[in-house]
Amino acid sequence: MYKTFSKRELLAAFLLGLLAIVVVPSLNAYTPEASFFHISDFAINLWGKYLCYAVLAITVDLLWGYTGLLSLGQSLYFSLGGYMMGMYLMRMIGSLGQYHMPIPDFLVFLGWTSLPAFWKPFNSFPFALMMVILLPGALAFVFGFLAFRSRIRGVYFSILTQALTYAAWLLFFRNNILMGGNNGFTDFKFMLGHDLRTGPTQRGLYTASAIFLLLVYLGCKWLTGTKLGKVQRAIRDSENRVLFSGYAAANYKLFIFVLASVIAGLAGALYVPQVGIINPGQMATGKSLEAIVWVAVGGRGTLVGPIIGAIFVNALESWATRAYPDYWPIMLGGMLLLVVLFLPRGLVGLAEHALALFKRARRGPAAPGEVASDTSPAVNHAPAK
Amino acid sequence: MSPRKEFILAAEDVCKTFDGFKAISNLNFYMDEGELRTVIGPNGAGKTTFLDLITGRTKPDTGSILFGAPGVDLIRKSEYEIYRLGIGRKFQTPTVYTDHTVFENLLLSLEGSRGVFNALSSRVTPAQRDRIHEILKTIGLSARVGAKAGSLAHGQKQWLEIGMLLAQNARLLLVDEPAAGMTDEETVKTGELLLSLAGRHSIIVIEHDMVFVRQIATRVTVLHQGTILCEGTVDEVQGNERVIEVYLGRKAKH
Amino acid sequence: MVPGTRIRSMSTLHSRSRRRAAPGPLLALLLAALSLLPAFAADTPATRQILVKALQAEGDEQITLVKSLADSNSDLVRKVLVAWPRDEVFIIDPGDGSKIPVMLEDLQDADGKSNAIRIDTGGYLKDASGKPEAFFANDLTSVDTDMRLRKAIKDTLDLMTLNDPNPEARGSAIMKLGMSQNPAFLALLQARIPQETNTRVQKALKEAIDTIQLKAPNPATQIAAIQELGNLGSIGSRDVLKSIADDKQSTPEEIKATRKSLAQIDSYISRVNFFGTLFRGLSLGSILLVVALGLAITFGLMGVINMAHGELIAVGAYTCYVVENFFGPGLWLSPFGLRLHIPGINAGGWFYQTYFLFAIPAAFIMSALVGIILEVCVIRFLYRRPLDSLLATWGVSLILQQSFHLVFGAANVQVNSPVWLSGNFTVADVILGYNRLFVIAFAALIVLATWLLLTRTPLGLLIRAVMQNRNMAACMGVPTERVNMLTFAFGSGLAGLAGAFLSQIGNVGPSLGQTYIVDCFMTVVVGGVGNLFGTVYSALGIGAIDETLQQLFGSPVVGKITILVLIILFLQWRPSGLFATKGRGLES
Repeated sequence: MYKTFSKRELLAAFLLGLLAIVVVPSLNAYTPEASFFHISDFAINLWGKYLCYAVLAITVDLLWGYTGLLSLGQSLYFSLGGYMMGMYLMRMIGSLGQYHMPIPDFLVFLGWTSLPAFWKPFNSFPFALMMVILLPGALAFVFGFLAFRSRIRGVYFSILTQALTYAAWLLFFRNNILMGGNNGFTDFKFMLGHDLRTGPTQRGLYTASAIFLLLVYLGCKWLTGTKLGKVQRAIRDSENRVLFSGYAAANYKLFIFVLASVIAGLAGALYVPQVGIINPGQMATGKSLEAIVWVAVGGRGTLVGPIIGAIFVNALESWATRAYPDYWPIMLGGMLLLVVLFLPRGLVGLAEHALALFKRARRGPAAPGEVASDTSPAVNHAPAK
Repeated sequence: MSPRKEFILAAEDVCKTFDGFKAISNLNFYMDEGELRTVIGPNGAGKTTFLDLITGRTKPDTGSILFGAPGVDLIRKSEYEIYRLGIGRKFQTPTVYTDHTVFENLLLSLEGSRGVFNALSSRVTPAQRDRIHEILKTIGLSARVGAKAGSLAHGQKQWLEIGMLLAQNARLLLVDEPAAGMTDEETVKTGELLLSLAGRHSIIVIEHDMVFVRQIATRVTVLHQGTILCEGTVDEVQGNERVIEVYLGRKAKH
Repeated sequence: MVPGTRIRSMSTLHSRSRRRAAPGPLLALLLAALSLLPAFAADTPATRQILVKALQAEGDEQITLVKSLADSNSDLVRKVLVAWPRDEVFIIDPGDGSKIPVMLEDLQDADGKSNAIRIDTGGYLKDASGKPEAFFANDLTSVDTDMRLRKAIKDTLDLMTLNDPNPEARGSAIMKLGMSQNPAFLALLQARIPQETNTRVQKALKEAIDTIQLKAPNPATQIAAIQELGNLGSIGSRDVLKSIADDKQSTPEEIKATRKSLAQIDSYISRVNFFGTLFRGLSLGSILLVVALGLAITFGLMGVINMAHGELIAVGAYTCYVVENFFGPGLWLSPFGLRLHIPGINAGGWFYQTYFLFAIPAAFIMSALVGIILEVCVIRFLYRRPLDSLLATWGVSLILQQSFHLVFGAANVQVNSPVWLSGNFTVADVILGYNRLFVIAFAALIVLATWLLLTRTPLGLLIRAVMQNRNMAACMGVPTERVNMLTFAFGSGLAGLAGAFLSQIGNVGPSLGQTYIVDCFMTVVVGGVGNLFGTVYSALGIGAIDETLQQLFGSPVVGKITILVLIILFLQWRPSGLFATKGRGLES
């Protein structure tokens, strides 16, 4: 039977959670800078971003690995959440901007002297938080409703998500929607009263990201163990059969799609104060593709895979863009190509395969009559349809 | 005036054309409750299309398909509404959930709420567990309850699918070529299974294998070019001149 | 495009003619065609005399002399009058007190000095020993001008342009004269009418005359002029007419006539706009069609999602760039840190202009080759896994984009249009550009060729068999692997052709493919996957709607966003596209 949380998994999650949420920030806060154990502010900030990316990766996998929906536009929801938080942060700059006016600099530059109506409520953090959830969620709901009702599936769904993202990207470049144009929002100063430019605040944001990741991981683990999770995977494997079993697959897909978008939006909202900027470039389909690479490399159809993939690939990118900046896109493309062709279950699959080989070697040849299926990773979780 | 016979399924004047090709033409088909009806016919006769029309996968151009008494016109219903009325279909190629266990396959097919939020909060009740085990016994897969459905043999997958129809408590089972790809033993077992289900359930079986048809059939309908060619017992049908001509392509020797 | 071509060709021709003999008469013909200067006209000594006198004169006399040059029909006069307000005509005193007007030659010697050409004789200004003397432009005093003189020079030039062989130049000069509403020009314009052969210029003459007559003393003449401007559909005089209508001092008859004429003109304008939009929409649709047709084959017919299609287009565009430079001075590339020189054959004249005809097949072949490599190495393994092939080809797309970046540089590269693609011809004020006409014809040709290939050739039959049932075809002995490869190569080659064409009308850079990929997919999906004619209709339809929306919203970006949203909504309503091939819809 399918157990949602095995003891081993819980223990591992607890330990890692402890490490990320308690140990790491303490090492940043309480050890002297020269010490070997010290984790620099820069590293904290970097890891905070990685963890937000890991959440984004989980949402991609929730759709792709578990439900068979390859969305090429998760970065859109990530960015929308980021933009909503960005609007709050812009309001928090107050009059400390370049023009020393109580409205954001870019508005002054465009000739505005007072705040446009839709900007006004954003000086309230609860309101901004609500928008972080509502805007991506509403967009996902409308798009998903239309798409799933029309039974749009597979690659066509993917292409449509790409088109939607492209349209949004074009839209956000325009100055007249008053969202910062191609420069976006930046120069944030304060959040909830704390100065964003100081170590302790960034540490707090990092910790929040780690906690959020843990919650999302545990939540998704629980979700995939429920009947809904089973239906999800059934939809991935054989949607027609699901329909014939009397499930309104469209409703299930819509639920998961909206959930994924809201989580992505929240991740984006945590990401933006840490990285200090949000602009339409974040919405480009290239960004969504990166998230997909993280999941593919880490291992789709699992929950740890996206986390591992996000951290691994981003760390690789940080190194590569310093060492071989001209070749990074080639490396990224090559990685995607190789993983799709040769390593469909990613690093997690590789680890499982190695573990299985190790186990088999330890145990010796299989006894006669023993079913091979539980030792070989032969069942290819091919979510591709 | 004699009361109108209560049919489980009554299709009248059904026509369906695909891109100029008349797949079903003026089809009139009647079936009693609890009956096990076998439908045969050469390729392209429209057998699978007929099932598609019943389950709502395609809509007919004209005609009506009434289910149960009083008859509900299936034409107006969507696929999963038809499903919920109690019509289940088993496809030619087994479509079980390969990544789920046998138990889970049956669990997902069990009668009950299909709602999203219910799926979040529901747990497996003892009653459900019992029912699943009961079905497993019927289809003979109790030993493989925890195995991934993808690892089952071909014949076992077919039985699992039939099991899924049972879990759904279908009143009308539409079984498309159940003997396809099975060994002789498996074929016999499948025949026995179907016969045991008749009575409590109404079953339409589409088949090519005449040996299998002999095993299970009481009443046979022959479909040809989208319309009924003849109906009767197996012997009547096999002896019918038109049927021979249609199947063998030449007039029977007098 | 045109100025770029002209200057480049001219300068290279110029420099080459100094190094070695240019290919004679053809060159002269080309020079004559390229330069919009009129045919060499009479530079009689008398004309030169008047010119010199004008340069040396002052005040009203100078103005009269300048104006008298209007009917000289002399190329020299034109040159001098153009150079004069630019301070490029100089007076040199050779030391004997005489003031000799000269112009400096373009050619500079090693010190940066130029020889001076005498205006009175046309020869060089020689020093005491008889050698041509060279000067620095800065050392010389130019003949000055004031506002009145410049105006007179300008008017004279305009009048001279009345005789310009180029109808465009004549037309615009006539328009300017008309706009001035100066009755002095009336006689001249009226005299020109019987001599004018070009119908468009004739219309311009009539408009100009009428515009001037708007200020005629006789009210009846004015009204007649107003009415005729309306009948002619004179777009140029619309503003003038509007000001008369708004003028409180106009008589009621004037206002009535003007309003009527304005209505006539406006309806003419909207007709012109309609056809203009239609034409531009057709050409936009043709571009879309050319770009999407390759994808319609690989995606529509083969069911392969190739996210690198955009990059195959870019391969074609860059091939065109390389071929153009091969015909020219050659090219330096820097792939992966190495320096690679592609030598150019430095073709000249008409041969150079044919480069595009070589570039087209080259682009097809290059993209087809890349497509073959892609099919053999990647796509072949992913036929049954469409989502995976989407991702794998996207990986390839990233690799290709960065490769372009590394080999050709991050900036856009300039590909010059051949002369015969630049320019346009106008039908009733609707501008039909040659390059747009070309793309429409090109698209039609490609569609025809593809259709013929698929329906009339044995290969086409094999392709269709494999498309419909790969396994069955294999059983029948069709070499499916080879057919797949060839089909994919064909679709990729078409992408290359699209790229060659795009290089003529837009920028070529590493991200060229990304600009078009979303549009390509949308076009194919809207048209109905699996149906080539669906793609044709869809491309033309989207082109027309896109262009109309651009007109409506005034902004290409808003138009594009609207189109995308409309397409997404359309697909919800009709997921199988315009012409669904059974079993290939979005809901498959």
